[in-house]
Amino acid sequence: MTNINTAVKIGKLTLRNPIVTGSGTFGFGPEMANIVDLNKLGAVVVKSTSREPRLGNPTPRIVETPSGILNAIGLQNSGVDNFIAEKLPFLRNYDVPIIVNLVGTEVADYVHLAEKLTAAGGVHGLEINISCPNVSHGCDFAVDPALTAELIREVRKVTDLTLITKLSPNVTDMVPIARAAVDAGSDALSLINTLIGTAIDVRKRKFRLANITGGLSGPAVKPIALRCVWQVHRALPNVPLIGMGGIMSATDAIEFLLAGATAIAIGTATFVNPTASTDIAAGLEAYLIENGIADVNELIGAVTQ
Amino acid sequence: MPHQVFARVLSNDPIIAGHQVITCEAPTLAAEAQPGHFVNVLTAERYDPLLRKPFSVYTVDRDRGQISLLYSIVGATTASMSRKRPGEMLDMVGPLGGRIFQADTRPDTTHIMVGGGYGVPPLVFLSRELRLAQSAPNIKFIIGARRKDLLLCEAELVAAGVDARVATEDGSHGTSGRVTDVLEPLLLENSGLPVAVYCCGPTPMMKAVAELCLKLGVTCQLSVEVAMPCGIGVCMGCVLDLTDGRRVRCCVDGPVFEAGEVKW
Ligand SMILES: Cc1cc2nc3c(=O)[nH]c(=O)nc-3n(C[C@H](O)[C@H](O)[C@H](O)COP(=O)(O)OP(=O)(O)OC[C@H]3O[C@@H](n4cnc5c(N)ncnc54)[C@H](O)[C@@H]3O)c2cc1C
Ligand SMILES: Cc1cc2nc3c(=O)[nH]c(=O)nc-3n(C[C@H](O)[C@H](O)[C@H](O)COP(=O)(O)O)c2cc1C
Repeated sequence: MTNINTAVKIGKLTLRNPIVTGSGTFGFGPEMANIVDLNKLGAVVVKSTSREPRLGNPTPRIVETPSGILNAIGLQNSGVDNFIAEKLPFLRNYDVPIIVNLVGTEVADYVHLAEKLTAAGGVHGLEINISCPNVSHGCDFAVDPALTAELIREVRKVTDLTLITKLSPNVTDMVPIARAAVDAGSDALSLINTLIGTAIDVRKRKFRLANITGGLSGPAVKPIALRCVWQVHRALPNVPLIGMGGIMSATDAIEFLLAGATAIAIGTATFVNPTASTDIAAGLEAYLIENGIADVNELIGAVTQ
Repeated sequence: MPHQVFARVLSNDPIIAGHQVITCEAPTLAAEAQPGHFVNVLTAERYDPLLRKPFSVYTVDRDRGQISLLYSIVGATTASMSRKRPGEMLDMVGPLGGRIFQADTRPDTTHIMVGGGYGVPPLVFLSRELRLAQSAPNIKFIIGARRKDLLLCEAELVAAGVDARVATEDGSHGTSGRVTDVLEPLLLENSGLPVAVYCCGPTPMMKAVAELCLKLGVTCQLSVEVAMPCGIGVCMGCVLDLTDGRRVRCCVDGPVFEAGEVKW
């Protein structure tokens, strides 16, 4: 057991295992610390944090669709100053890399956030959310390689933390955006964010979400997410990818590793099973032991036709 | 602490049309659950419906390590629950809820429970806990329903010696009208005396009860019902706007709030 390696590298970070939390599905840490031992995770990725506090969208914000959910939370959060003062001290008590997901509307917002969070201490990585589908302008960066490159270049200038760009699947081809982010200095990529969708209540003849559209996540999106990971991995085989989208079990996680992901984020699964992240980490380790695989890195991109 | 439990079903019986009580062996939940706590139930095996659904804890038997839920069959989860047989397992996460009912501690308080539909069970639990904690608490229980055949829990409250009063909208049993038609005279009768109202039921009922209590200056705790996708405070789906401007999560910042806090 002890000679099995589960550790993977994402930029400068060494994760004790490939399992991380999906931004927006694990709160800021304290919410989950009673339920899950944070020190058993590869990293904790916290909810999107913006420059100013945001109240988010009106309700209903989440509706269920077959094997999935549509969400339009609208990035409700208390702002970066509150995060640093109120949430970060708690997270510093844990021996786990902390990755903060940043969101803004302009390049200057992201630069401001990156500077503050780098200076704060106790933050190990920044995940740049260029792809939130639930706010106006949220997807402007994600659909344009030139804008993505400019944003990442500017953020790169102000931080030496591991930089991860979170990509949107709501584009014709993710590869040019992925390449632009990496060329501009992103150490790694996260994919996928949610897919834009909607749902209608036929009785009321009304949209079921107050925001009309929302982001689809959960098992319904898994085949698409897996395809995205494989496409980006094939184009950029040396770039570490954090794969996510509908991962509910260790088997699902292994599929993503085989498709080319180096780490795996657990999102919606946490809503269904609060200990999904650590259960999947344990399940992955058990799989390695049972199959005599000495190093989890052997699985990455190992799918064949 | 919230945790997942696969609990053996001991019984699962209809009580009135479309409503059942499921009792399970769940010692850890029985030990921890307090009135106002809920559990999140999952019945689907292949992700449809994907999310768990919340149910208030109805009874606990701490000696035997059992809890029960009283549920109204309205959709996929409750339909699957209704088919569970003794010996099968029920997948629950609980106890959930950050702020739950707090028994008023002023001496000689009259505790008034106002419940409608599946809002009645958590108040039955609260009444029982009050009776366990105090020798002879003064409890008045008001149950509302549209019709007599939809009334929940009256017989068991009466059997336990609780002063239970009923309002039916069609007048088929008890006072003809709504719970507030029974509550208002009771509050006026007790004006100047320590009174605490605890309420759980359909939103329009809770709003009417809250407004009445605010008007008469009576403290009132409400267990608010909104859809709770995760129940553990991380999804930000069940938010509620409070009168002080805060936007809070119903599942972990509630589900129990004071009448004056809720912005309807
Ligand atoms: C804190 C809390 C405590 C609760 N306690 C209890 C309790 O003790 N007992 C109890 O019976 N219930 C309780 N509830 C309510 C219960 O959680 C819900 O009724 C739950 O949704 C039932 O799940 P279901 O899968 O059976 O029904 P669902 O499929 O979730 O359906 C619920 C309702 O939504 C409607 N609906 C479903 N899908 C759609 C759609 N696509 N478009 C429009 N409308 C739709 C249905 O017609 C139905 O009326 C509680 C809720 C909360 C928040
Ligand atoms: C309720 C909810 C809130 C989310 N909030 C964020 C967010 O704030 N920032 C972000 O980058 N992604 C957010 N996401 C996207 C997830 O991190 C993840 O990319 C997506 O849900 C796919 O993974 P899953 O199917 O495992 O959930 C959110 C997803 C959900 C369901």
